[in-house]
Amino acid sequence: MSDEPVLEICDVVRAYPGRRAVDGASFALPRGGISCLLGPSGCGKSSLLRLIAGLEPVDAGTIRLRGQTVAAAGLTIAPERRGVGLVFQDNALFPHLDVAANVGFGLAGLAAEDRRARVAALLDRFHIAHLAAAWPHMLSGGEQQRVAIARALAREPSLLLLDEPFSGLDGHLREAVRDALLADLRAAGTSVLIVTHDPEEAMMIADNLVLMAEGRILQTGRPQDCYHRPASIAAARLLGELVVTDALVADGIADTHFGPVAADGVPDGSARLVVRPDALAPGLPGLTATVTRSRFAGRYYLIDAVGAGQAVIYPLVGDPPANGTQVILGLRADAPVLVVAGEG
Amino acid sequence: MALPLIGVVLAALGSGTADIAARDIARYALTSAWLALLVGGLTAVTGTLAAWLVVMHRFPARGFFAWALALPLATPAFALAYGYADLFDVAGPLRSWLRAATGHDLPFELRSTGGAAFILSAAFYPYVYLAMRAAFLNQSVNVLEAARMLGCTGGRALWRVALPMARPALAAGVALAVMETLADYGAVQFLSVQTLTTGVVRAWSVYGSTVSAARFALPLLAAAALLLWIERASRRGATHETGKARWRTLDVQPLAGVRRWLAFGFCLSLLTAGLLLPVGWLIWNFAQTSPDWVRLMAATRNSLMLGIGGAILTVGLATMLALGARGWPVATRIASLGYATPGAVMAIGLLAPAGLIWNLAPGSGMAIAILLLLFAYAARLMAAALEPIDAGMARVTPSMRHAARTLGRGETGAAFAVDLPVARGALLTALLIIFIDVLKELPATLILRPFNFDTLAVIANNYALDERLGQAGLPSLLIVAISLPAVIWLTRRIAVARPGV
Repeated sequence: MSDEPVLEICDVVRAYPGRRAVDGASFALPRGGISCLLGPSGCGKSSLLRLIAGLEPVDAGTIRLRGQTVAAAGLTIAPERRGVGLVFQDNALFPHLDVAANVGFGLAGLAAEDRRARVAALLDRFHIAHLAAAWPHMLSGGEQQRVAIARALAREPSLLLLDEPFSGLDGHLREAVRDALLADLRAAGTSVLIVTHDPEEAMMIADNLVLMAEGRILQTGRPQDCYHRPASIAAARLLGELVVTDALVADGIADTHFGPVAADGVPDGSARLVVRPDALAPGLPGLTATVTRSRFAGRYYLIDAVGAGQAVIYPLVGDPPANGTQVILGLRADAPVLVVAGEG
Repeated sequence: MALPLIGVVLAALGSGTADIAARDIARYALTSAWLALLVGGLTAVTGTLAAWLVVMHRFPARGFFAWALALPLATPAFALAYGYADLFDVAGPLRSWLRAATGHDLPFELRSTGGAAFILSAAFYPYVYLAMRAAFLNQSVNVLEAARMLGCTGGRALWRVALPMARPALAAGVALAVMETLADYGAVQFLSVQTLTTGVVRAWSVYGSTVSAARFALPLLAAAALLLWIERASRRGATHETGKARWRTLDVQPLAGVRRWLAFGFCLSLLTAGLLLPVGWLIWNFAQTSPDWVRLMAATRNSLMLGIGGAILTVGLATMLALGARGWPVATRIASLGYATPGAVMAIGLLAPAGLIWNLAPGSGMAIAILLLLFAYAARLMAAALEPIDAGMARVTPSMRHAARTLGRGETGAAFAVDLPVARGALLTALLIIFIDVLKELPATLILRPFNFDTLAVIANNYALDERLGQAGLPSLLIVAISLPAVIWLTRRIAVARPGV
């Protein structure tokens, strides 16, 4: 297996009247494994997926699949010639075909015998062999999705795209269905790119994250790196709640409300300290703040507090303090921090 | 598809002597308007009442009436006119019998605008019935129940909630009935009621003047455009969708005592007026004539050929349009313009281009004439074909189409592998609708057909004009016999309860 990326997106632009859905996006996906394209609703991730699949032309930039340019300004290789599988949010099963015929739809070029064998193997792999003769409207949401994925994999695409695949499943079932499906997908060995707007889900399932906002790619990397070492405040915000406070940088050291913090490479002057709420803990020396609100979040409470003009949030296991209580919050020694130049 | 319409306008603007005074045009237009008003009112009331009874109430034979009430669509209006005219003629059996039995004559004359309105209403009420039936079936149960909770009786709920919500459907159904009324030639001609459409045909056949015919056609075109606009505008507002909860079964009220028999009697009298009585009389009459079978068989063959050819051509074009015009709705709207246009007007509009073609390729008369005729049918009936096809293809979501593309099919391949099979029921529906309409079509066929090329409708019309009603009956009956199975199939299909269930 070569190290050549399966997908390379380079400065891709896609504009609709009045807005740029994809605005100079660039990233590359390594071969194999599961990647998640994460971004808030309307950030252009579904548009980007359609550009990769070839359902829409790019206005600028290039898309390369296994080293071959499939899209550039004025060039759009038709979707049927890209070798990309796409699983739609609504699964898009053909209502006039049964499950086996749906899965075999893309194998028109194969001899009947081979086609039957390939379909049978796929039905087996996704545990839907007993549904071969069923019609799409008779299937549950999870079953429909398995059919849709088996159908997309039938042509052995080099890249499988899934558009919000788990959003239709309800909470209780969601995790079990997702885990089983991902195990099957990993076993199939295909490179997979999943679009989602759910950061927890993305971090849990992805080998590789691609963070997107307002048509641009903010960061790519392992979920742990993206979470703990965000490239920017915007990228950090995508993966969960943040505490952003003022700081002043001098000679590579940031003077913060929680004490000095290393700020290598950050120019002297005003800056911001960015941490996750769980980086803060009461009882450590730092910021004196007044509790304004407590929210119950199951295993812990999320406490809002204000001190020295800074709004902060921190998690607390045990009984929450009453509103108006004074607390002193410090930074955990091992907590990842980000110092960004500029004023908040 | 808009070519014939342009042809009419150009012809009307053309110089050349108009043999018919503007005063005549105004008089004919007035008759047409009056007739349209009467038929509109009558069909609105009868069609709505029948739909309300059948959808919301339980009474004897309700399930049968649900689809049988649409059967008059198989009967051409002119066949009803022949039947009724004969029955109610001064020397006709019904009138003679009543005179003998009661000593009084019936106080009305069938060969009048009122008589024509009765006959056309009996023929065209199914348009309103079907539209209103669909509207009542699709209405939200919740809204009706809310009305009942707020103190409305069943009847008040119809008046205050169901009818206002179904107003778009009512407008659309009545617009269709009125379009057909304005386009009718055979019935009104036979009843000696002078409308704009008879004017178009007379101007052309008696005076041989395309210009006069086109001038008669202009007000018809304007009316057609208006009706089409009404029909489309009402359809835009036709979806008062309120979510999935509405698919609960409608609460059907059993009718008790005399009311159930009143409901039964009303539905039966509608079906009798639109089908059983006139067609029964024609059958009775035909038993006493000796038909010219050779001529009839030739005409049947021609009718079938035109019906099948017209259906295939129209549905083929409509399918290509439906597939090709996605994201370009203007195209289908332009192609649908011909729908409200009476066949006579369509034919007049095609005469000029036809003359051109004949001059360019003399000797190919027969084939060209038939092609033109088929084209006239296609232009006239395009919307009727497009509507079910569009509805059928609406089941294909964009993502299904895209899925087919990512699974290796090209644009055309995806259409053949997904769109067409999914819409195959709709395609068959469209084929049958066009087939039936072509069978019943008279004025355009009359004007554009090649010499010595008769269809069943044309033969019926010729016999009727010679007052040989017994002979006119058989070709009319043959049309009914051929289209009835198709209409039954269609209406049974429509009657499959509520969509989504």
